[in-house]
Amino acid sequence: MPQAGLKTIIALSFVLAVGFLLVILSCALWHAYYPLLVVATYVMAPVPNWICSHCANPDDFVESSGAAVLDLGRFCTGFLVVMGLALPMILAHSGIIEVPAMIMSVIGGLLIYGTIISFAMFFQEEQEF
Amino acid sequence: MEEERLWKFRKPEWLNSVWARNAGVYGAGGLFSAAFYTLLDSAVWSKSAANSSSVHVTFVDWLPFIFSTLGMLIINSVEKARLSSDSFSYSGSGVAWKARVVLFLGFAALAGGMAGGVTVFVLKFVVPSVAWPAMNMGVENVVANALVGLSTVVLWVSQNIEDEYAYNLAL
Repeated sequence: MPQAGLKTIIALSFVLAVGFLLVILSCALWHAYYPLLVVATYVMAPVPNWICSHCANPDDFVESSGAAVLDLGRFCTGFLVVMGLALPMILAHSGIIEVPAMIMSVIGGLLIYGTIISFAMFFQEEQEF
Repeated sequence: MEEERLWKFRKPEWLNSVWARNAGVYGAGGLFSAAFYTLLDSAVWSKSAANSSSVHVTFVDWLPFIFSTLGMLIINSVEKARLSSDSFSYSGSGVAWKARVVLFLGFAALAGGMAGGVTVFVLKFVVPSVAWPAMNMGVENVVANALVGLSTVVLWVSQNIEDEYAYNLAL
């Protein structure tokens, strides 16, 4: 894993801006602002992991209650990530938003979530030193 | 551990890693989310302008999913280590028996949910021979319950991986 330099931060913020651009365009072009929910979903996605990692005691290997709390956080995070993909599909299937808006908001949401994940990875790598 | 092994084939080594276990738990969450949003899709489509038929999703369509979810919650709340209590001396006071009863209830709820999904599909959509775009709501009901079952299996297997991992670490 390379050290998180200035170039990485610039590239990540660029990708984040492109993701937000896609999502907002998918809302504004068709005057249906439901795809903005995708942004909220992906911003919420790492939160259960973060909360449960603070609740659990990772040194507790004998009694696996600590691992159970961690697993609950991972389960909720997986739930929210797939929710971000599923919401535009539901809206497009029922004709509430258009199909191009669905594609744009899905791609934009994936870009936003990828930025959040890679930022967290770089940040964790720095913490270990 | 080697003498207690029941099966001829051992688990592959990569299955015992933390990575595989975490991926399994994330995948289980994703599968459950897919199940929930498949059912929500049928409900939203039922009330939208795209639905021109007179068939609508009601509480009856949600009931099998509620039972499946309840079963999943029960199954994955049981502490797996208590099931094999014949090798543990400290949990002899009927804990394994209780765990098996609770687990049986969980599996019954899960299978009941799946059977209920098929029942709703047959009684509400196949027998009145609903036309195809509305038939999709019944298919999605069956798919959602199957996905909950799949999610339960994935979560169960990955939690068993966790036990093996802890055992390897304790050595």
